[in-house]
Amino acid sequence: MSVPDARGFLLLRRAGGVWGISNAAVEGLAWEDGRYRLEVGGAALAADEILGVVEDLVVRPAPLLRRFWAEEPAGLAVHGQLPVVVVDPGRLPAVLRSPGGDGLDEASE
Amino acid sequence: MSEPAQATRREGTHLLVQAGEYTCALPLAAVRRVVRSLSVHPLPGAAGALEGLAEFGGEPLPVLNLARLVSSPPGPNPSYPVTVVVWVGPAEAREAVGLAADAALEVAHVPADSVVAGDGGLLLGEAPVGGAVVRVLNLEALGREA
Repeated sequence: MSVPDARGFLLLRRAGGVWGISNAAVEGLAWEDGRYRLEVGGAALAADEILGVVEDLVVRPAPLLRRFWAEEPAGLAVHGQLPVVVVDPGRLPAVLRSPGGDGLDEASE
Repeated sequence: MSEPAQATRREGTHLLVQAGEYTCALPLAAVRRVVRSLSVHPLPGAAGALEGLAEFGGEPLPVLNLARLVSSPPGPNPSYPVTVVVWVGPAEAREAVGLAADAALEVAHVPADSVVAGDGGLLLGEAPVGGAVVRVLNLEALGREA
């Protein structure tokens, strides 16, 4: 499976929530063992569902979240009436990290 | 009534909200809307009062549990059927937040000089309203503490 060659944000579903990652930061995407695996910054992420790529996501900062959540997202957005956590590729949330390892091997080839 | 007196009265006008066993007074000027409980998407690993994220008016909205935020014991039926959408933080950097609560009760005047014993943060202090003690919240401080 190839990496979508588009600007904008890749939206995925994981742990009941919708997450957005800058599409430019996605280095690999593969379907493996019943779930999607992505490579972002050399780290392997897991997704239950890929919702697609959107270009017009309005990302808002959410400083209040930091007080109540250990993760540091890039911001929040809404897509199709669903709240989206837009992640910072340099600070990936633990819940997105794949239990399998640090990156894609042959699966991304 | 003179203009300064009207301004003072406006500043003292609060929405009383039931949050667990406590009654909280929210500055009415910071209240954006009171709505039925919003559909909340939990955030994995979120701690304390953060219920999760919702969508409101096309915008993302963090939702906090007001009872947990003020360390109130839960009420007899803690289903939190109301979400009070408020502005928090300073005016130049305000942020919309949803407060899940048991009920929006009434609008009441809470004179500033009746508020005592605050913590200097979210809890501005306590004040007598209609024979009961309410906890007066400083929502601007909630944003500053973030």
